[in-house]
Amino acid sequence: MTGPWVEKYRPQKLEDIVGQKQIITRLEKYVGEGSMPNLMFTGPAGVGKTTTALALAKSILGEYWRNNFLELNASDARGIDTVRDRIKSFCRLKPVGAPFRIIFLDEVDNMTKDAQHALRREMEMYTKTASFILSCNYSSKIIDPIQSRCAIFRFAPIKGEEIAERLKFICETEGFEYDEKGLETIVYFAEGDMRKAVNVLQAATSEGETVSEESVYEVVSKAKPQDIGNMINKALMGDFLGARTILRETMVLQGTSGEDMVSQIYSDVSKRVTEGKMEADFYIDLIEAIADCDFRIREGANPRIQLEALLTKFI
Amino acid sequence: MLWTDKYRPQTLDEVVGNNKEKKIITDWVSNWKNGNPQTPLLLVGPPGIGKTTLALVIAKEFSEHIELNASDKRSQDVIKATIGESSSSRSLFGDEYKLIIMDEVDGIHGTNDRGGVKAIGEIIKNSKHPMILIANDFYSKRLQSIKPKCTVIKMAKVRSPSIRKALREISQKEEIKANPKALELIAKKSNGDMRSAINTLQALADTDNILEPSDVENLRTKDDRSDIFNAITGVLKSKNPQHVREALRVDEDPTLVMEYIAENIPREYTDKNEIKKAYENIAKADLYFGRAQSSRNYGYWKYASDFMGIGVSSSKKETYKKFSKIQTPTIFTLMGRNRGKRNLRDGIAEKMSDKMHISHAIAISMFPYLEIMFQNDELAWEISDFLELEDNEIKRFRKKKIPKKVVTKMEKQKAQMRVEERDRRFEELQNQMMNAPEEIEIEAEQAEIPFEVTIDNPSEVEIDETEEIVEETSEVKIDKTEEKKENKEKTEEKKPKKKTDKQVSLFSF
Repeated sequence: MTGPWVEKYRPQKLEDIVGQKQIITRLEKYVGEGSMPNLMFTGPAGVGKTTTALALAKSILGEYWRNNFLELNASDARGIDTVRDRIKSFCRLKPVGAPFRIIFLDEVDNMTKDAQHALRREMEMYTKTASFILSCNYSSKIIDPIQSRCAIFRFAPIKGEEIAERLKFICETEGFEYDEKGLETIVYFAEGDMRKAVNVLQAATSEGETVSEESVYEVVSKAKPQDIGNMINKALMGDFLGARTILRETMVLQGTSGEDMVSQIYSDVSKRVTEGKMEADFYIDLIEAIADCDFRIREGANPRIQLEALLTKFI
Repeated sequence: MLWTDKYRPQTLDEVVGNNKEKKIITDWVSNWKNGNPQTPLLLVGPPGIGKTTLALVIAKEFSEHIELNASDKRSQDVIKATIGESSSSRSLFGDEYKLIIMDEVDGIHGTNDRGGVKAIGEIIKNSKHPMILIANDFYSKRLQSIKPKCTVIKMAKVRSPSIRKALREISQKEEIKANPKALELIAKKSNGDMRSAINTLQALADTDNILEPSDVENLRTKDDRSDIFNAITGVLKSKNPQHVREALRVDEDPTLVMEYIAENIPREYTDKNEIKKAYENIAKADLYFGRAQSSRNYGYWKYASDFMGIGVSSSKKETYKKFSKIQTPTIFTLMGRNRGKRNLRDGIAEKMSDKMHISHAIAISMFPYLEIMFQNDELAWEISDFLELEDNEIKRFRKKKIPKKVVTKMEKQKAQMRVEERDRRFEELQNQMMNAPEEIEIEAEQAEIPFEVTIDNPSEVEIDETEEIVEETSEVKIDKTEEKKENKEKTEEKKPKKKTDKQVSLFSF
């Protein structure tokens, strides 16, 4: 198989999963017992929630896991009704060649509270035939009744050395050379996010044969939206309208998410202050505003409006 | 029958209010009658105060009249065709004047009415007939060129005692037992609009013929909601909380109103701190709109509304004296203009999400890396092949097409890999059959269950078939599987070839 490495090197078995050792041990117990409660996987992006769910389904459902496994993305499926219809029609059939069926619902924290309540009813209705695995970034966004019906597993960011080890394995399998410094740099930028690490690695190798500090830096700076720096410069010079236009274009055209914008803005200004290009006092005021903005976006405010308001703090 | 029609005044004396204006009109009419041509009358004023009624009363003084109103298409041609001719030529019978009534002149707009204002200007210039123009908004741009050519009569709202009196007369005629208090309330709530007051009376009396103040109390004040532009102007120009609140009573999605306010803050306010403060309030309003939505508690809207209204309006130290045009949020035009790009983006994200177990948002966040990877011809082909991307989708990540040479090479490689995979699988099966026949028997038994239902994975079916044969004899089935695999290989090899042809033809296009 070829294609993106993030998929090619997705661990297929529970024992191959990187990090999350405690979680895996407990899940393996479920496999041994041949049954599992409803599960909730929570944690940041790229730490193995989906991978674990897929691997668990394969081990616990056995050979015919595909027929008994339904994967749905709560944020993409057009509305809760689609989700419910698909769950209903899936649960109506008896499990075949497996002890029960599993429904994996990704990004449950993006569902409205109403939709979550509807989901709760669904979970109760099919307890005999199906188990749910819910996955989310923030368990705080999940209503209590759902949380209380699940065994909750908190996935931590993957440790640096574990990421580095995996990257080495990939390089060796694919036949690319690397130096430690290069991998270290990837690990630094990945911030515990394996998906990001593997993407940076594949992008870096696509440009040349070796993975070095330079090649990684090049990828990271290329992949970063150039416009963020421009936008901040404009705002700092007092051109709010200009900055706002860049913000809107970046979000609409590139489709950059609010969370990504916030973290880009953060890394841009924090670079400025360490390079002595920004006063510490001003920086700290900005951080308060950025943190506030971050929090509000996660709480469900309109990311673009919040970011526009954040931009005014720069002028 | 609508009471507003039934009780429409038939003579000038019956028309309520606006006495000074009525005098001007009487003079205007008698001047025309004495063969003394006058400039057209332009009646301007808020709705429901009797402008049309007045025009119709005047029409009685003339032998004939022509009426046009906003529901007519008012392109130049239509205006000329219907009244152009009659306005410049007099009837054969000499002294007979035709009155031309043009209602809602300030409503002329849009492409359908292109040239409408100009046409009216011409008609006014050439007309040998009396003309009455009616408009709502004295300051309308569309009236600018017309006003100087007319006698402008500004009509005021009808005073509430006059309305009350009219309502009482109608109640008596309709035999409604109306409490005078109730009539007074209707009159007050109508805000000077006689038509709406009469309509309200009729609506309330329709159920029974008794009218008490309690019937009127929960009635909403007459809908004099402003449009969105007035709302924005109110927020940005005023500093008076009461005015701001009133201005914000618009019949629009409040988050849309917020977008409008946000858009125009930096266009109206110039002081940095004012922009900061105003936008802070917008952000807070947005926060509460979000909370209202996620908790389904729409009571939060009132806070949001105050943040974006009073909050923004009080962020300025003083009202700006300048005139800044209210602009439509650029975010909407941006989204509209780039719909194609966004659809392309979402299409790719959909494919990625199917193949890679990721959400759209995560897929899109991977785009920058894909852009880099796609600079490598072979990798670009591999990924496009994996995701089944179309040519236009590939173009999203790289400007140049993947060279034909690379495509052919990669397709050959893929076919080669398939052959290898087939051989390996075949070997595997052979080993299985030779080494562990008993085990297979058990597996086959278990495998029977899935046949009751649909089987998604064809490869599984094949294994089962071969396994079943194992139970019978050993020699024959190897040949069979071989044949089968070969057939499969053939079909598989055909597929990529076809694809190449298609791609080649697309390239030469």
